[in-house]
Amino acid sequence: MYGDQANKLVQHAKRTQALPHLPPYQTELVRNIVREVRTLDTEVTATLAPFAGSFNPSSDPATATQLLVNYMCMRRNKRCLLAYHRVRTEKLEEMVWRGVDVKEREGLSTGGNGGSGSSSSAVVGEGTEGGSALSPEEEEYARQYAELLAAYKGKWTDVDLTGSLEPPRDLFIDVRVLKDAGEIQTEYGAITLTKNSQFYVRQGDVERLIAQGYLQKLS
Amino acid sequence: MDIDDILADLDRESTPQENLDLQSLTRSWVAERVAPELIPYPEELMERVLERIARQIEVIEEQTGSMDPKTNFKLIVIQTELERFKFLVRSFLRARIAKIDAHPLHYTNVSATTTITPSLLSLFEHQYLTAHQSLLSTHYRTSFLSQFPTQLQRLDDTTGGISMIDKPDGDAAVFVRVLRDCGVVAVEGTDVRCEMNKGDVFVVRWSAVRGRVLGGDVELI
Repeated sequence: MYGDQANKLVQHAKRTQALPHLPPYQTELVRNIVREVRTLDTEVTATLAPFAGSFNPSSDPATATQLLVNYMCMRRNKRCLLAYHRVRTEKLEEMVWRGVDVKEREGLSTGGNGGSGSSSSAVVGEGTEGGSALSPEEEEYARQYAELLAAYKGKWTDVDLTGSLEPPRDLFIDVRVLKDAGEIQTEYGAITLTKNSQFYVRQGDVERLIAQGYLQKLS
Repeated sequence: MDIDDILADLDRESTPQENLDLQSLTRSWVAERVAPELIPYPEELMERVLERIARQIEVIEEQTGSMDPKTNFKLIVIQTELERFKFLVRSFLRARIAKIDAHPLHYTNVSATTTITPSLLSLFEHQYLTAHQSLLSTHYRTSFLSQFPTQLQRLDDTTGGISMIDKPDGDAAVFVRVLRDCGVVAVEGTDVRCEMNKGDVFVVRWSAVRGRVLGGDVELI
């Protein structure tokens, strides 16, 4: 049936919206849909060929209906493909905004739910084994979007656009260190962040580390 | 004009520019977060606010060295205020970016066809919009669109009676508070008429009060 594949793709997109990570790109499905569109297009051309450009829909309703169905299917397929890609690019954009390294994140998600503390080499190994979750085009897109965002952000250095969207209540907060983060410089001197220690620091200084999961904010 | 209006006018004159700016920034921020479509960019206001933020940062940097507890305390107050200002600006800009990203083609068209001042987008936002849109279309094209029949490759196709360009929903409901009496407001397409008096709060369609919000008679809450 025409459109079945596109339907599957939309279901994938729907599922992607609810997932925390990006599932693998459906290269095969996308290719099949594109092929379906091309077949439909050839069919349309073939149907229209004998009329030599003087096709009158009212004199031949059967052919007209066939053409209409073909056209609708092509358009629908296009729409589904667009939707699928848009959902994925939105996910990518969100990751870029959050400052997550797209590639690293993707490696972790294909790295299975097993030990989250697995060594980085194992994650990379599994990542290449299971194939990348992103298509090459998406990787390129994510890279360029990151550049674009950096450029836009550069215009607002004082405000730090990627900062927290929670209204600030206190200037200083309590944080617990979840992972060793080394030494950071603040205006009150340097702090060494070792695992399991607790600090009372200025929120602005550690915001990035919280976002990256090194620190946990204690309320 | 009654005594309240006169008092309000007096108040307005006596409050310093800084406070007014904070008020209008907060108002713009709320409006941007609530309204279904973009609201013209408050160029001058943002310039003033950003300049003040930069100045405060300088003050803080100059004074951090001193260990005098009195200045230290003052610094903390300034820093807290600064963080709050930064949050307002950040949230405001992010809300705008989110809207731009949601309907990129619509805003490309709007900013190309209208030359009203104040313009809808700031210069940087416009650059962002154009760059992002070209990135997206390149992505679509390389992913699948280039293999499509030529007549189906467009992203802004309007044939077949359906436009591919998605628009913000002008009929979305918004909460508003009336700042100045503005008579009877009619909601288009319905029989609903409401008289808007100062201080009243309404839930109405955005399209019905859009002009009044932009004019400053009504504020979004």
